[in-house]
Amino acid sequence: MRALLPLAAEGDPTVHLTSQTRILAAVIAIVFMLMILELIRRDRLQERYSVVWFVAGLGMLAGAAFPGLLGIVADAMGVRDTNVALFSVILLLLLGLALNFSVIMSRQSAQITRLAQERALEKAREQAKSAENGGEPERERL
Amino acid sequence: MRTLVFIPAWNEADSVASVIAGVREYMPEADVLVVDDGSTDETAARAGEAGAVVASLPFNEGLGAALQTGYLYALREGYDFCAHLDADGQHPPDEVARLLEEVRADRADLVIGSRYREPGEAKSDDYRPTLSRRIGTSVFRFALTLATRQRFTDTTSGMRAANRRVMALFSENYSPDFAEIESLQLAVRQGLRVEEVPVRMLERVGGSSFLTPLRSAFFIFKGMIVLLVGQFRPRKAGTEQ
Repeated sequence: MRALLPLAAEGDPTVHLTSQTRILAAVIAIVFMLMILELIRRDRLQERYSVVWFVAGLGMLAGAAFPGLLGIVADAMGVRDTNVALFSVILLLLLGLALNFSVIMSRQSAQITRLAQERALEKAREQAKSAENGGEPERERL
Repeated sequence: MRTLVFIPAWNEADSVASVIAGVREYMPEADVLVVDDGSTDETAARAGEAGAVVASLPFNEGLGAALQTGYLYALREGYDFCAHLDADGQHPPDEVARLLEEVRADRADLVIGSRYREPGEAKSDDYRPTLSRRIGTSVFRFALTLATRQRFTDTTSGMRAANRRVMALFSENYSPDFAEIESLQLAVRQGLRVEEVPVRMLERVGGSSFLTPLRSAFFIFKGMIVLLVGQFRPRKAGTEQ
């Protein structure tokens, strides 16, 4: 069971991932990307919002294929433990993504509001116009 | 000189007709528009029966969006002046007429009806705020005065009169969820003349205030953020259409 726990040894900068873990990560990444493709195919996800997810899937795949990459990232961050580096990177990415969604949501909510206002104004204008022309009953008499 | 009086209303079927009747009595020259903010009751029908033009938003968008709809209508239909008041009967129409006089006389671009009078002038049927509202009021009063360097007593008043400059500004730049306070800050920052006039306000006829203590706290917190951000917003030029 010890082999299943790929913990970095203290002071050892290299990454220890068992082939089991790497295969599992690769499979998850591939399944994930297939899911994205399926969602696009069923029109449940628009292409422009799928790019970021594909990048995430590819990143996962790259991490599984070349475990050394993670060590490089950890080194660049000045973090000894590669697990901490991994979680920090993922956390930051998710944070950025969530913020991105809030921005999109704000824009869309502003657009929806304006749409609702335009529709309301249209109807009000029609009503005001028909009132100016003497209203509905008057027109029927003509 | 054409004038529009608009009334934002959300589920105010009980009081909207009497408010419209009051407006028509005291401001017979004005057209009346009710902005129905996605009401699920008979508000729109009652308003139509009472002779107002009704702009119905398909779903509830909040007071800010409803008010903006009114300003948009006034701007696009070429009204020279507009005023708005609440649909719950708190705002006496004769006081709204006084506000309109101020903008017609060109003494200000935007006139706010303040429910707070000088002490000693209070009457028995005057508006009496609850404790949480009093706290919120003083916080906003302080913050807005700090932000605009102009003294305001009633920062959340929904009784206002405005000219076309204000219509142009508010129909484009109006926060959907923080209408009253941010709009004052915005107007002052854009160099518009904002004036406050003390008015008489009444207890509401129907409905109840949405403010509970917790909501008040959240409202105040959100308001502070809005004001802070507003201070760093660029002054937009050319809002005139």
